[in-house]
Amino acid sequence: MDATDLPAVLNANPGLDALLRKLQPLLDSGRMDNVVDLLSLSADLVDLLDAAMVEKLSGLFEEATALSWNLGNAMRMASAQTRNEPTPSLYGLLLLLRDPQTRRGLALVLRILNVIGRQD
Amino acid sequence: MARHIVIVGGGVGGTMLANQLVSKLYPEVLREQVRITLLSNSPDHYYKPAFMYVAFNQFFQEELKRPQRSLLRPEIDFQVQEVTRFDFTGQALHTRSGRCYGYDFLVIATGCVPAPERIEGLQQAGDHFYQYEAARQLARRLASIDKGRIFITVSFPQTPNVPHQCGIAPVETTLMLDDYLRQRGVRDKVEIIYTYPTTAQLLRNCLFLQRPTGEILPSIFEQKNIRFQRGFTLSKVDPEQRIAYSEEGDAQPFDILMATPPIRAVDAVLQSGASRAPNNEGWLPTNHETLQVYGLEGVYVIGDTVDLPISKAGGACHNQAPVIANNIAGEIRLGSTCAVYDGKVQAAAQMGLGAGMPLCYDYRHDVLPTPPTKLGSLLRNGFNRGLYWAVARGML
Ligand SMILES: Cc1cc2nc3c(=O)[nH]c(=O)nc-3n(C[C@H](O)[C@H](O)[C@H](O)COP(=O)(O)OP(=O)(O)OC[C@H]3O[C@@H](n4cnc5c(N)ncnc54)[C@H](O)[C@@H]3O)c2cc1C
Repeated sequence: MDATDLPAVLNANPGLDALLRKLQPLLDSGRMDNVVDLLSLSADLVDLLDAAMVEKLSGLFEEATALSWNLGNAMRMASAQTRNEPTPSLYGLLLLLRDPQTRRGLALVLRILNVIGRQD
Repeated sequence: MARHIVIVGGGVGGTMLANQLVSKLYPEVLREQVRITLLSNSPDHYYKPAFMYVAFNQFFQEELKRPQRSLLRPEIDFQVQEVTRFDFTGQALHTRSGRCYGYDFLVIATGCVPAPERIEGLQQAGDHFYQYEAARQLARRLASIDKGRIFITVSFPQTPNVPHQCGIAPVETTLMLDDYLRQRGVRDKVEIIYTYPTTAQLLRNCLFLQRPTGEILPSIFEQKNIRFQRGFTLSKVDPEQRIAYSEEGDAQPFDILMATPPIRAVDAVLQSGASRAPNNEGWLPTNHETLQVYGLEGVYVIGDTVDLPISKAGGACHNQAPVIANNIAGEIRLGSTCAVYDGKVQAAAQMGLGAGMPLCYDYRHDVLPTPPTKLGSLLRNGFNRGLYWAVARGML
């Protein structure tokens, strides 16, 4: 069906007319069903989402973003500092351990390994 | 010597801005030509809009706060310090602990505080949801009321054309209250009366501070059997008789008075001498476009402390932070500001416990209300529980 064949009532409604013109290629190629199926899938998903589900998903989102943010910050700052300094000697590496923040970081990494071991 | 940018206040405005300044000025930060310090009087950061949900037992305190440090990039020097005095001439800040911080650029992000004591009897007899403890007290009352009258009032600042905090909050909480009392099965025995003062920013005798939204409220309220009354400017409360009086000469009894109380800037800002606002409200005279404080060199203001005509809302801070970050970077790199704030504020309003309405407006356009939807509410809930923390970190 060509858009010009549409009943007068549709042609009189420019919004509907524009929408139908957009949909015409989908109708012609028989892919309109996919779009309707997708719409019904999204409606199902919205039905599934309740307050508890949103809370869980939002919690996951926060955990994932906070973790990648922390790691990204650490990488960015550490590589900037390392780039600005000459390659440390072995003794220089040990000196890094004198900084309490380095020791806290190291303790954190060791504890992470510990918990990974516990979950294994 | 490194230029020192100091931000005072670790709320949503200060936190977002500090993080955005680090990314914007990263080359200078790396070369130690710029230092960024954030001073806040609390080690924790609160997601304040959740206080509204606390009033309906929907949020625990543990869920609405995070350690301030965990929201800041590591390049930021964060110190728990309460600023007690701004010395603008000496470009220095004095703190309660006796320390003094010099600055080249200063951003004031200390927000505002509810001031129910400014209306006689309101502190004793009224309730509100703008702070955690107050919201908990209201929650206890709302959870136990079985019959009676809940009277809702809204007080505006007396500074012309400055709104109260989060303009849509009284409407949101009225609709949440209706749903909550229905859930509890007592709605038919509890009367809800929503009132609005005669003067609401530039409007008179309306139900909301912007006309298009105000015009759709009667039909929404009528569908839910919520009574509404224009022209009630709360002037006095009698805690014994439990009666709210208005400047217009009305007297209304209540069992619970759910008020949007007067607000003001924090003490240090009130005492700074920089405000020209009447009634000792303390709003800083803000350049609408650059967000600099008029009359002060290198001083910016973000969030609830501004005297702008737009909502005192996190959604406003979100659009102000990039403007200030660009303007400070412009001053450092080019010698002048280069970004302009258009007054944009966006939010997803909670229009009842299960419905939400995304909204957006700016200096020149009002909110065009759309029908509240379940998806809108899911978006709002997702923001409350997760997206907000990415926004505070400056990621979104
Ligand atoms: C119940 C409620 C509902 C809301 N709903 C919404 C909503 O739906 N959408 C929305 O966009 N906004 C909403 N808002 C508004 C939003 O929370 C505020 O606009 C926003 O928090 C303002 O940010 P700010 O950074 O200016 O101030 P704040 O977030 O208040 O932060 C101020 C910070 O300064 C610190 N501080 C204060 N004085 C000093 C001092 N002297 N020295 C050092 N530090 C100091 C404080 O500890 C605090 O960390 C709501 C607010 C409330 C209370």
